[in-house]
Amino acid sequence: MKAFTKSPWVLHYDASSCNGCDIEVLASLTPLYDVERLGVINTGNPKHADIFLVTGSVNAQNVKVLRTLYEQMPEPRVVAAVGICATSGCVFRECYNVMGGVDTVLPVDIYVPGCAARPESIIDGILQAVALLEKKHAYMKSMHGQMKEMTIGRATALDSPEILALQKIVYQNEAEMYDDWSLAPLRQTLEDMRRDFETRVFIKAVVGGKIIGSIRGYMVGEETGHVTRLIVHPYFWRQGIGKRLVQEIESCFPQATRFETFMGDKSKHTMEPYEQLGYVAVRQEKVTEHRDRVYFARDREGA
Amino acid sequence: MTAHALLIAFPLAIAIPLLVFRSRAVTNVLVITAAVLIAAGSLGLLLPQTSVLSASFQVPAEYLDWTLLGLELAVAAFIFFLGVRHLRHLVSFLALLQAGLAVATEILFRGRIEVVTLLAADKFSLMMAGIVGIVGGFIAVYSLGYMKAYHEHHREYRDRQPLFFFLLFLFLSAMFGVFFSNSLPLLLLFWEITTLCSFLLIGYNGTAESRGRAFLALTLNLLGGLAFAGAILFLAFTAGTVELDRLIAMGAAGGGLGAALIPAALLAFAGMTKSAQMPFSSWLLGAMVAPTPVSALLHSSTMVKAGVYLVLRLAPVLRGTIPGTMVALIGGITFLAGSLIAISQSDAKRVLAWSTIANLGLIVLCGGIGTYEALWAGILLILFHAVTKALLFLCVGTFEQKTNTRDIESMSGLIVAMPKLSIMIQIGIAGMFLAPFGMLVSKWAVLRALVDSNPLLVVFVVFGSSATLFFWVKWMGKLLEVTKVRPADETGIAVRQWVALSALSVLSVGLVGFYPLISAQLIEPYVRSIYGMVTTISQGNLIIMSIMLGMVALFPVTFFVYQRKVRVVDAYLGGGNMDSSVLFQGAGGQVKSMEMRNYYLAHLFGEKRLSLAGGIACAALIFVMFGVAL
Amino acid sequence: MSPLETVLLAVAAIVAAPFAGGLLAGIDRKLSARMQSRWGPPLLQPFYDVRKLFRKETIVVRRSQNFYIYFFFVFMVFTTVLFFTGGDILLTIFALTLASIFLVLAAYKASSPYSFIGAERELILMMAYEPMVLLAAVGMYLVTRSFIVVDIARSPQLLVLSLPGLFIGFVVTLLFKMRKSPFDISASHHAHQEIVRGITTEFSGRTLAFIEIAHWYETTVVLGMVALFFAALPWLAAVAAACVFFLVILVDNVFARVKWRLALASGWIIAAALGVGNILVVFFLR
Repeated sequence: MKAFTKSPWVLHYDASSCNGCDIEVLASLTPLYDVERLGVINTGNPKHADIFLVTGSVNAQNVKVLRTLYEQMPEPRVVAAVGICATSGCVFRECYNVMGGVDTVLPVDIYVPGCAARPESIIDGILQAVALLEKKHAYMKSMHGQMKEMTIGRATALDSPEILALQKIVYQNEAEMYDDWSLAPLRQTLEDMRRDFETRVFIKAVVGGKIIGSIRGYMVGEETGHVTRLIVHPYFWRQGIGKRLVQEIESCFPQATRFETFMGDKSKHTMEPYEQLGYVAVRQEKVTEHRDRVYFARDREGA
Repeated sequence: MTAHALLIAFPLAIAIPLLVFRSRAVTNVLVITAAVLIAAGSLGLLLPQTSVLSASFQVPAEYLDWTLLGLELAVAAFIFFLGVRHLRHLVSFLALLQAGLAVATEILFRGRIEVVTLLAADKFSLMMAGIVGIVGGFIAVYSLGYMKAYHEHHREYRDRQPLFFFLLFLFLSAMFGVFFSNSLPLLLLFWEITTLCSFLLIGYNGTAESRGRAFLALTLNLLGGLAFAGAILFLAFTAGTVELDRLIAMGAAGGGLGAALIPAALLAFAGMTKSAQMPFSSWLLGAMVAPTPVSALLHSSTMVKAGVYLVLRLAPVLRGTIPGTMVALIGGITFLAGSLIAISQSDAKRVLAWSTIANLGLIVLCGGIGTYEALWAGILLILFHAVTKALLFLCVGTFEQKTNTRDIESMSGLIVAMPKLSIMIQIGIAGMFLAPFGMLVSKWAVLRALVDSNPLLVVFVVFGSSATLFFWVKWMGKLLEVTKVRPADETGIAVRQWVALSALSVLSVGLVGFYPLISAQLIEPYVRSIYGMVTTISQGNLIIMSIMLGMVALFPVTFFVYQRKVRVVDAYLGGGNMDSSVLFQGAGGQVKSMEMRNYYLAHLFGEKRLSLAGGIACAALIFVMFGVAL
Repeated sequence: MSPLETVLLAVAAIVAAPFAGGLLAGIDRKLSARMQSRWGPPLLQPFYDVRKLFRKETIVVRRSQNFYIYFFFVFMVFTTVLFFTGGDILLTIFALTLASIFLVLAAYKASSPYSFIGAERELILMMAYEPMVLLAAVGMYLVTRSFIVVDIARSPQLLVLSLPGLFIGFVVTLLFKMRKSPFDISASHHAHQEIVRGITTEFSGRTLAFIEIAHWYETTVVLGMVALFFAALPWLAAVAAACVFFLVILVDNVFARVKWRLALASGWIIAAALGVGNILVVFFLR
């Protein structure tokens, strides 16, 4: 069904562009080109948008804004870099504050070169983006059908960006619950995560080529295994994935006789898989005013 | 009949030991038992299908006259001395005048006027007594918990709780007296006792500010009392009676000729001062300085209702007359102005006060119109308003007790910080203006009454009610918005308070389902007894409203069914979010926090300007009213 | 009307109204585009938009915010049924207000500055148009002696002849209700420079689709009320509704958005002058 083809809504953002491409984007809305006949609406709101149209070469100040706007767009979404500056940074690439194109910050799906990009190219870019939207949507739908083909296995350092992105999505929920956006998992950088791969074992759950769950663990001392950062994408909750991940990570440490983990006191949903596997709460300590940390532990049978 | 006298005497009997015994345990037991008994008693009176009852005490008329006069003079003397002691000479003067009128009436007409019916109780009085008994009972129970915390927080105020509870029950007794009295002097006595209770309770905390406010209330209410006494004198002079039912019969029969009209106008004036219509609204605003149970009981649910009760009683006399139209206009202007002013208030108690004044204006409007439809609407308004407003005042009081502020802006996120309380506030607010709740039904009835009699007055109702929409919904919205998750903390609120709050919430909602029954059993018979005709909301509409109520009631269920497959993101802040829905990157790289504050539009709906305008308009109308009557 | 008739009408209203409303929304966009010398989207564009929205992810700021929208939708459908099955017009207006309040509460719940401003402005708009709507109902009562839509529709008098002021005032109210310039201060298709999407800023996906469909229902109810003014001649009613709709679109394209103060003042002054004036005349001429 060509739902997106008929109604692509656009979010237009100027990431330090000279405004040449922006004027051309707006020109597309004028009677001469009239993109509204294709159903395109320029909404100024990421939450209503399907296509993220970015112009300009992206400077240091824009990076956070771009990421925030992208995050606030509902799936399926595509990013279109309009103009040669957005594509590669063009002549400004080497400047001290310029990142050099949108793809240094966001995953770009469509590149529309030109300086300034002509409305015809922009419209062509939108139409191609729309086709991509259809593909992404079909993929999203099929993911739900592919649950039976979920695989669980070791993750490598190459998976870090995906796991980090998943971590940020899942801990957004936690942050809302505790009203604390300084939680360590939200603040972790890519470098930090890559370093973690050297000391910890990462397990990932994959559906249709996308990582939808992860857990990591490491040995503390000779006999105790520490399990942490159990994350499952909200769409896949209540399907027993958490439990399987915990079991998998435990099996990676055959020498451990005791497993420990901790989480926030309000994270009932994270506690469930552990409790189902026999973990019990051993102690609770205050971390901040509104958040306590609860420690769980389990002694392995036959140990 | 003795049952009614008992209902008047019982709270009085309870009041005295409450003053004497200082033990908390004894107070608790006495208050709770008394509250239950009073509520049960007033409800019990509703049950047997009794029609108009009258009583004659086997007391010689003279004996009664002297007792009555003695009590009236005692009250007047007390007020006189209060005025002298605090150098409020106007108060002393008014008390003196009133005493003078009472004495004059007595001297001139002693022995020549016979009081046939001293106490009477028809359906209307019984319903009012029921409201006062139940709402008053719950507020008394609430006060037990509240006053304890009040004095813990305010150690600078002298703890005079025995006096407080004494006054509370004395007041309840006087209220029953007002509803059951048919003899106007007796009514006036009880009326002035409520004024006195109000004065003492407003000044409860003993500060200079509250004393000033108390005297303002006293002065304005005394003005009304003076008019009342004048009405009695005039009625005795021209018609040889001092009984309310005779006055009403005269007016209804005579079609509003002078004899009945002047006392009616004077009594209406008294009613309007007591219910804080413009230009007398300032005393009600000032009374907000009193502890919350006082505001709830006296100044929204019951005492001020005595004022509109009197006006509604006079409806048959005022109907179709020019003074009646004046009264209606005063009510209408008060409703409109009060509703507009409430928009500009951010102090929750002031919003409630202005809303009370406005709704009382609406009831006065009904009384002034005086048709059977208007009367029905007015009584319905009293019923719903008393319960819902009491709930709202108690909730705001509880909030203030916990957080030490009354500002609506501080209630942001209350749905998370104090979920139970915030839901009760929302029930109260919804009950005040939203379909299919009670006040909406009543306003609907008012609209229908007006289109049949005086469509121009519809203007006031229509503009006023659109104003009420604004300030109620923005308050509700403030409760719901959550920018900072605070842990839920509803500790420190006594069980007795929760009992009262919950009961009133249930009552507010339940009344919507039960009002057809109440209307059929109580309101319609009364209206029919006066006009021979009756009106009500049609069966079809009742069914539709029940459906609506059912659907709205489903809403709380959603709190337990939380969407799982949703992704939580921050609010849209132009992309400048600093990992938060509140913090964003401002100019120069500074991190700023966003704030959301309601519109108060003080430059448009400022209190000073509008109350001045309303006051002038209503004062002019009062002059016209008396001018025409004379 | 027999219960069976009522049920059939109700079902017909529930099913047909969104299609009618959506088509009207499509005509709106097409006409606006033509007035701007553009081609404009296809007539069925609103349906395409809604279809796409159902396929989008649902993202929220507060988890309970979408419930209010569902109730907004349910009550809007309820209002439509109430009106088209010929119920009490005052009750219809109250139900409509109830529905709109759920939308406003949803915007408050979303706890975001743009939706907050949208909510406050929406309340101001409601305060501005409500007197006029109620006065229109009162005017209809004065002429037909009934508040029941069925009775008003069956009245042999052409209401607009005795209620011209109320009619004009009601058309102005349409500008408020349909979020058209100059009174589109709370949520507008064009205002995104000023308040982003106002009330609907924080709603996405399915929820936004429901808001859109609820607006279609509302459009049919409001145009139905316009038709009531001409109910004595049904063909004229249809023509009048169409003309009024066209007029509203024309005004939308010609006028710029006003500030909220002027919106509030306009609503009230028009209600006071045209509404009260008309009622005065009707009352005294009786």
